[in-house]
Amino acid sequence: MAMMPSTARVDRGYRGGRYKVRSVGSRLVLGGLVLAVAVWLVGPFVWLFVTSISYQRNLMARPLAFIPPEVTLDNYKMILGLIRFHAEGQAAKILPSMLNSLVVAAVVTLANLIVGATAGYAYARYRFPLKTVSLFALLFTRMLPTVVLVPAFFLMLRALGLQNTLTGLIVTYSSFTLPFTVWIMKAYFETVPSELDKSALVDGCNRLQAYYRVVLPVSGPGLVAGGAFTFMLCWNEFIVAQVLNTKPGTTTLPPVIAGMNGQINIDYSVIAASGFLGALPAVLLVLCFQKYMVQGLTAGSVKG
Amino acid sequence: MLAPGLRPASIRLSEARFALLLVLPALLGIFVVVVFPLLYSLWLSFTDVNLLRTTGPAIELFGVRVPLFRWVGLQNYARIFADPLYWSSLWRTLYFVGAFVVEATLVGMGMALVLHERFPGRPLMRSLLLIPWSLSRVVVGLLWIGILDFEFGALNGLLYRLGVIDGYIAFFKHGWSALNVLVSVYMWNQAPFASLLFLAGLQSISLDLYSAAEVDGAGYWQRFRYVTMPALRPILFLVLVLATVNGFLMLDLIYVLTMGGPGHDTTTISWLGFQTTFTFFRFGPGTAILYTLTALCLLLAVIYHRLILGRFEPES
Repeated sequence: MAMMPSTARVDRGYRGGRYKVRSVGSRLVLGGLVLAVAVWLVGPFVWLFVTSISYQRNLMARPLAFIPPEVTLDNYKMILGLIRFHAEGQAAKILPSMLNSLVVAAVVTLANLIVGATAGYAYARYRFPLKTVSLFALLFTRMLPTVVLVPAFFLMLRALGLQNTLTGLIVTYSSFTLPFTVWIMKAYFETVPSELDKSALVDGCNRLQAYYRVVLPVSGPGLVAGGAFTFMLCWNEFIVAQVLNTKPGTTTLPPVIAGMNGQINIDYSVIAASGFLGALPAVLLVLCFQKYMVQGLTAGSVKG
Repeated sequence: MLAPGLRPASIRLSEARFALLLVLPALLGIFVVVVFPLLYSLWLSFTDVNLLRTTGPAIELFGVRVPLFRWVGLQNYARIFADPLYWSSLWRTLYFVGAFVVEATLVGMGMALVLHERFPGRPLMRSLLLIPWSLSRVVVGLLWIGILDFEFGALNGLLYRLGVIDGYIAFFKHGWSALNVLVSVYMWNQAPFASLLFLAGLQSISLDLYSAAEVDGAGYWQRFRYVTMPALRPILFLVLVLATVNGFLMLDLIYVLTMGGPGHDTTTISWLGFQTTFTFFRFGPGTAILYTLTALCLLLAVIYHRLILGRFEPES
């Protein structure tokens, strides 16, 4: 069963390209494996979509029809408030909470990129006192269970009157995104040739200008990788938002979906629609920027 | 002609100062949002937290009164260590982490080996790899309910159609099955990330090694055993450590799928700590439980630190 390496010599330098060398048998095996992986990866997500455009009664039917006998957009209309139903109170929270998610994720991403990229650049380029110690601390914080910080944030934000505010969430989320952003930007800047900054200095830039006029403009891929990952983490975060922002209308999307999931009088198909809608932004973001994200993540090797 | 301040000695000095200036905002931020809450949580784990009491000792920080509560020493720790539920949760956590690490590593490597092959549509497949990983755990839980549910689960529907079962299986009804379902659902979400790391490792292996092995007559498994595996060892170690930490931290899926039940059969340390703190509002014992979890993770962080610095920072 000569699979991978038999073609290796032939198509070095080609990406994709030739498969002539492979025998019919091994091509079949490979095809089967690829199909199995594809079904495993997207099957559940596709099924979520299928249930979201089905009626609950068809999902309960036995035998179950894998191609829905009736297709409907009613579930989406319900959660968007276009048609009335018995749990519209819950459903009405979907859009406002999506807006909250968007605001929190966008602000955290932007603030973290500005502060984190700057620090990452210094770590990648300069020697300074406390560098090793603070790098160690950074790595250390990235391995912390975020949940251990949540009781402290709960009491601190209560004392500050920031419970049930987006500001509170933004501050709390930074505790797990900021160390990560610094780390991934450091890893990225290490791949940018330092001759670039040196020639900028020779050309009369000062150090700060060398950073933001010369290095930063060519660092799009690193910023995209760090930004997209931070955004995804915040968009998807559940526990912190669930605990800190309990007042209706102040929380983000995941707690709202989880709350609907806990109620027996809401059909699964309706919850599936809200889940699919909520997942879409993060999935599209990751698919759009996958090239940069994969590079950035494998270089920065994060928890996720 | 040198401008003032460009002499070598002062360059070095101002370089360090400049760099410190650049890292200062980030380090200050991390102090405020990580170090301080971490210390405050540690303090809380030694106190009797009463949320209703508004007076009592407090420290003033930037004009804000942060309550300190009543110091009770090791009482919270003594109490949680005397609780059999803590220990049963700990053993369950160890099983959960072990099973999760094995599953995530094997499936992650399996998918990486398949996706490392050359076939039409490979870039598309690599994009699909990111889908399970980019979903919120709330959605991950939700879509697996759609597959495993007792009344409308697609897997039940499929098995029923194929005639394998007569009635739908209640995957979450019994503790052992619920725990293992949690492991696998979490694995579905996390294994793709292991695959990404393995793929990066596979791509860095020189093709000459495979050619040489092939010339020597090595088959697929021999090449895997003697060329691929040794080269992947650092990545494998990294994946193992990351999976272990992520296994200890898993919390959100339990919330969505089992709430620690049935009974306490899916209660792990992180869930127990979370529940004690935020369901029963017993902050003292709750933070004490979470701190024992933190200690475990920091132990792993030391291992990880040595690994990472070995790999990425030969100069420091």
